[in-house]
Amino acid sequence: MLTQFKKYIQQKTRITDEHFDIISRDLVSRKVKKDTILLREGDVCSEVFFVASGLLKAYTIDNLGKEHIIQFGPEDSWVSDRNSFYFSLPAMFYIDAIEDSEIVCIKKEFYEKAEKLIPGFNSFTVMILHNSIRFMQKRISLLLGATAEQRYLDFIELYPNLTLRVPQWMIASYLGIRPESLSRVRKELARKNFKPN
Amino acid sequence: MKAKTIEKILPPPAPHMVGDGFRVHNFFPSGFNMANNRMSPFFMMDYNSKIDFSPREKPRGVGVHPHRGFETVTIAYQGKIAHYDSTGNSGTISKGDVQWMTAASGILHKEYHEEEFSKSGGPFQMIQLWVNLPAKDKMSKPKYQAIANNELGKYSLDNGGVVEIIAGEFKGVKGRASTFTPIEMYNVRIKKGGELTFNLPENFNSGILVVEGEVNVNGQKAPTDNFILFKNEGETISIKADKDSILFVLSGEPINEPIVAYGPFLMNTHEELQQAMDDFNKGKFGYLED
Repeated sequence: MLTQFKKYIQQKTRITDEHFDIISRDLVSRKVKKDTILLREGDVCSEVFFVASGLLKAYTIDNLGKEHIIQFGPEDSWVSDRNSFYFSLPAMFYIDAIEDSEIVCIKKEFYEKAEKLIPGFNSFTVMILHNSIRFMQKRISLLLGATAEQRYLDFIELYPNLTLRVPQWMIASYLGIRPESLSRVRKELARKNFKPN
Repeated sequence: MKAKTIEKILPPPAPHMVGDGFRVHNFFPSGFNMANNRMSPFFMMDYNSKIDFSPREKPRGVGVHPHRGFETVTIAYQGKIAHYDSTGNSGTISKGDVQWMTAASGILHKEYHEEEFSKSGGPFQMIQLWVNLPAKDKMSKPKYQAIANNELGKYSLDNGGVVEIIAGEFKGVKGRASTFTPIEMYNVRIKKGGELTFNLPENFNSGILVVEGEVNVNGQKAPTDNFILFKNEGETISIKADKDSILFVLSGEPINEPIVAYGPFLMNTHEELQQAMDDFNKGKFGYLED
């Protein structure tokens, strides 16, 4: 698990093996089974989860018990409730493993140590934040003003292999549409694009 | 001719569920971490050893999923499987039947326990093989070969047994399945005390799954649910049945091309794999209701 995390960090920053050993000393790696709940709404989230393998989801549950998926976290993703992690407020999200997963649990101290030791780590985390803000802005814009088909096309660009890994209802939940609407979108795409050979 | 050397007799690896309808042992590629071309042209073999499913109104199975770049071969030994696909085909694979589906350029399908079988429950046993296609045929037109048990080539054995030839040729009797590369595939149904000797080419990757019973193959004992993996040395296979037995024999000429696999796609390059994913996501495989 840490090997994958190290590989990822070394691809993104100029960290030496020695420095990685220092900053990773207190990191906890976990193997979690599918359906393990890693965070509950209302709890304080003290960790960011780096996904070394497997798949996580962050989601809310509304008053009617319906689940709304905020984020999927496949390999090399960072999943957390930032409201809780950074501001120490109660979590807004649940975080679960959708597949058997290997995760690295990262606490605030890791960031503090890494910022001191690794050249470029700060700008790397800023880049990650900008990137996630960029995707969130796009997502808000699509949720407010795009058709279900446009949202689906954006989804498959961002997560090309998730259609093979998660059930339809989860994709529909992420897109903010009903599963039947997702079926209609896929049927319509097939009508437009399927050319039997 | 020289006896074919046995590399190893593999016990069934721990089973896992495919959907909720198939409890399978994956003999290759993942079960024993074999190289993904070790059994080429066969890429994968899932074996649902005999298990009793309890009766259920809603059939168990696997929902809609795509395939591209290879063929699936399903052989039912016990129970019944119903299948549906995006080209409008549907059918039932009953005990003793074989379904040879060429996914090639792309197909969506779903497989469930057949409705009546699901309602009554009972023993279920089947094999699903993935047979790779050479690059030139990967994007050919999808097709089906539904081969009922009475359409299989039959070679009678002296003591009441029979060899069912699915593909290839056994002692002059041809199998019905048409294949893209040279393949031999048989069910040997042999009675206790029966003996049988035959040859398979040295360069073909070969194996035998003991579906029922217990046999002695080239001097080594192989019990039920074990897979006899042969080296590419020698041709002759000599079988003595210690019990009434059913053996699944598979052998094929390797396809010496790169394999890039992800989930239900089996291609030659990463670009082709990405294309497969994109085509599936954009509906280019057609549509099938879940």
